[in-house]
Amino acid sequence: MIVGSVAVDTALLILKIAFLVLLYLFIWRIVRTASRDLRLPQESFILAPSREGGVATQPPPLRSGRLVVVKSAELEDGSDYMLNSSQLTIGRGGQNDIPLPNDDYASARHARFEPRQDGVWVQDLGSTNGTYLNGARLERPRRLTPGDIVRVGDTDLRFEQ
Amino acid sequence: MTLSPRNRELAFLVVVGILTAVGFASVYIARQSVVSTTSLTYAGIFLGVYLVAHLVARATVPFADPYLLPIAGLLTALGVTEIYRLDPKDAFRQAFWVIVAVALFAGTLFLLRRDYRRLETYKYIFGLSAIVLLLLPLAPGLGRTVNGARLWVGLGPLQFQPGELAKVLLIVFLAAYLREKREVLAQGRLKDFGPLLLIWGLAILVLLETRDLGGGLLYFGIFLAMLYVATARLSYVAVGLGLFLIGSVGVWKVTPHVQERVTIWLHPWTTHKVYCPSTGTPQLRQDCQSYQLVKSLYSIAHGNYGGTGLGRGTVTDLGGHALIPYANTDFIYSVIAQELGLIGASAFLLVYMVFVLRGMRIALLAGDGFSKLLAAGLTFGFALQTFIIVGGILRLIPLTGITLPFVSYGGSSVVANFVLLAGLLLVSNRANRDLLR
Repeated sequence: MIVGSVAVDTALLILKIAFLVLLYLFIWRIVRTASRDLRLPQESFILAPSREGGVATQPPPLRSGRLVVVKSAELEDGSDYMLNSSQLTIGRGGQNDIPLPNDDYASARHARFEPRQDGVWVQDLGSTNGTYLNGARLERPRRLTPGDIVRVGDTDLRFEQ
Repeated sequence: MTLSPRNRELAFLVVVGILTAVGFASVYIARQSVVSTTSLTYAGIFLGVYLVAHLVARATVPFADPYLLPIAGLLTALGVTEIYRLDPKDAFRQAFWVIVAVALFAGTLFLLRRDYRRLETYKYIFGLSAIVLLLLPLAPGLGRTVNGARLWVGLGPLQFQPGELAKVLLIVFLAAYLREKREVLAQGRLKDFGPLLLIWGLAILVLLETRDLGGGLLYFGIFLAMLYVATARLSYVAVGLGLFLIGSVGVWKVTPHVQERVTIWLHPWTTHKVYCPSTGTPQLRQDCQSYQLVKSLYSIAHGNYGGTGLGRGTVTDLGGHALIPYANTDFIYSVIAQELGLIGASAFLLVYMVFVLRGMRIALLAGDGFSKLLAAGLTFGFALQTFIIVGGILRLIPLTGITLPFVSYGGSSVVANFVLLAGLLLVSNRANRDLLR
């Protein structure tokens, strides 16, 4: 132990410096690359508009629209559902905004319509038989354009604005 | 050169692997008389475990933030290095818990890879299970008291601290609840606060009963921060802080345990002997109540700018007894500060800050209210917990025992923080995917 103590000290000093240098490099790389991956929309993580400053600054309004029943075994043809501020869910379960209790092809929570700032989006909630947008099965959420037909189980809904 | 997020993550993980190897090599060389050659295999095992975590992330959250996993890897690796340096037996157990944590991390990502937002539907289940978890240590036969706080649940040889996991569940509940109710809450009618105050009050009562002051501060802070994110009403934060101050003074007046903490914080050293409750005889306070804190301050001071080097710090007295009691859990920061010095300890805190920065960015980018609240709550909880323990050790605030995320010895803490990490990655994945489209 005593014989090699100078060598040990040198080795440890080198390791210490290597460790600290590497640690700072690690941090620097993250901060640098992170500051470059811009395209950060000027958004806040605060949800509600501030009421402190007198004039309330409203966030851009959510897009609205409505869903018209085109063909369904359960819902009346031509009836419609408004999409304003809150999202709508559709499925076999009674807790859905658009319930389809007797549709054997619909899952309990089948799909969700969500008004966002950039439009109304439809998303499949992991249903067994899938949700179809204009005949194509949804693999990821899609933004609806007026006239789109969404099929859930045995029901066809048309999106209108 | 633009790398995909996952490739970037892999590159950073390799750097973490090198750092781990350097750390363990240093400990091994400095303490070769004490430790065995197996120490170097730890670095290898670690890299393996994180590569598995990385592959799971590749499959489940391809668009998620690339820096969080390497940062967590760096912190756990540094933690295990220091725990190993203090006691190799503990490091073995900690390494086992890291593997359990990564398995749970993978499980969480896999289960919620499609849409974590369905968690919103089960918010009351989350709220109630958080309360049940917090209550578990009080159950007769199950609960165990360590260090004056009744926080542990014992199952045979295994012990865990359910409060750590309750933190994550409570944040999920708060995110879902506040998302749903934020508009009515912003109007400020008292009756809308009912369920919220009930759950929160229960949590605080439980914490007072278990004498977990750090936990109480943490939950209250998370609650206020998330309420602010949801309603944008600074007045709530002001009222909350006011209530907190009044409550603190009240608790301080009636609880000897808290009075002692404040005394230790303000006056750790005495020049004349004062009454020492543990021995019943007069002693200098630094030899009695504030022994742990004072030894920890000496330890940090001994580190100076450059530190003693990993494995070279003084952590035992000449008789081989540990200088700082519980150095591997609550006080691990002072050991790190001694061995890496001011330069290393600052880097270490910077790593925490970068983690918080990334977390806040995820909250910023998240598209919907639940995701924003979830990311902000998880990140704030992480930041506040780090602040409470490091601030306590540095005598900025009264010291309350709480773990340092990812670094402290303790299975439940590591497991809970990896679940927290999985949550952040899920939110991030969704937000980035929506941005790219």
